[in-house]
Amino acid sequence: MFKIHDLHKHFGSLHVLKGITCSIAKGQVVVIIGPSGSGKSTFLRCLNLLEKPTGGTIYVNGAEITDPKTDIRKVREDVGMVFQRFNLFPHMTALENVAFAPLRVRQLSKHEAHERALDLLVKVGLGDKASSYPDQLSGGQQQRVAIARALAMRPKAMLFDEPTSSLDPEMIGEVLDVMQALAEEGMTMVVVTHEMGFAREVGDLVLFMDDGIIMEQAPPEIMFSCPSNERTQAFLSKIL
Amino acid sequence: MTFRWDILYRSLPYLWEGAQMTIKLTTIAVGAGFMIGTLLGMARICQYKPLRILAAIYVDFIRGTPLLVQIFLVYMGLPQLLSFPMPRLTAALLALSLNSGAYVAEIVRAGIQSIDPGQTEAALSLGCSNAQVMRYIVLPQAFKRIIPPLGNEFIAMLKDSSLVSVIALEELVRRANIVITRTYRPFEIWLGVAFMYLVMTLAISRLVAYMERRLSVDV
Repeated sequence: MFKIHDLHKHFGSLHVLKGITCSIAKGQVVVIIGPSGSGKSTFLRCLNLLEKPTGGTIYVNGAEITDPKTDIRKVREDVGMVFQRFNLFPHMTALENVAFAPLRVRQLSKHEAHERALDLLVKVGLGDKASSYPDQLSGGQQQRVAIARALAMRPKAMLFDEPTSSLDPEMIGEVLDVMQALAEEGMTMVVVTHEMGFAREVGDLVLFMDDGIIMEQAPPEIMFSCPSNERTQAFLSKIL
Repeated sequence: MTFRWDILYRSLPYLWEGAQMTIKLTTIAVGAGFMIGTLLGMARICQYKPLRILAAIYVDFIRGTPLLVQIFLVYMGLPQLLSFPMPRLTAALLALSLNSGAYVAEIVRAGIQSIDPGQTEAALSLGCSNAQVMRYIVLPQAFKRIIPPLGNEFIAMLKDSSLVSVIALEELVRRANIVITRTYRPFEIWLGVAFMYLVMTLAISRLVAYMERRLSVDV
């Protein structure tokens, strides 16, 4: 699904990603952990080119998105993204938020788009909130709408950028439940998170990033019980 | 010293026609200015540098020169250049619209830049083109935010439109001058005119406040 080779990203003189190579298979749930400033989010945002890499190659579903000739819009249609700050469109209801991309990007009829949107809202447990505006919803509800919005394009993969980091603790569970259900359906997922419980239970592979590189990668059972890298051990001992 | 309010009273229908011209000039100028300003405001922050520079030069020129000079330039300068006569109303509307466009451009630019970049990112991640992001996500939110400064621009333009009296276009100020040359009653007439402007600007600011309330209920 994703093949990343020697990925670099500079912000001016700041070298944020220092050569990342990895591949993510279809149906795999990859969880990226690491201290803040390690480049986790930047890496994730490179995968749909919200950040433009300064070096290296990324293949998504066989298309090289780092090639300027590739139509990135087509690739983005197949890769959904969920943001830390939800980024729902405040001038649209929950239903309109979810129906927006099917309507405008996929060019479905209004009826079809709304039908699809309502199905997805029901799926994330918010069928009764279809006509609410984002500022009438709690953080957890907003994030679930945001997940439904990304799913409305029927993507082949989903990127999650710290999806629970700006939520009150009591709302984290409802969002993680939706994500877990999605993983169980076989969705390819790349998740940047600090929720180690989620990483352990749902993740197929855990990447530990520090200082712009992948320090260690292992299945969660191994990563959390006997990490081999010193930095991983130090990080995990601090948060577990 | 006696005040002749009856003269003002008798002149009111004539002055009111002038005020109607003032309202017409202002409405069309701000309307056209809004369209010019939206395009220009987007040009100011687009990714094509030449377009950005052109828009910046335009805005700087308009904001850095007196409106009075711009009116003369359009009314007397352009006909010389193009060698065809310029009707007063056309000249007035053109000068005011071009002027308003520059101020609205800055308002629109600030409005667009005030929208959280996360909105754009979310729309892009769904597969939107840049044009779709602007049309469906950024501009609708930006326009809502710029209603108050647009209202200010409307009020400023209403007052500044009095400058076209210098090319003898019969708006409120020009008509007041005509009345005064007939009646020799400047105090009554100018006070009356000032009051008419006040009524118009207050009406606009109430309207803007109303629109702001209406739109904020929606979201």
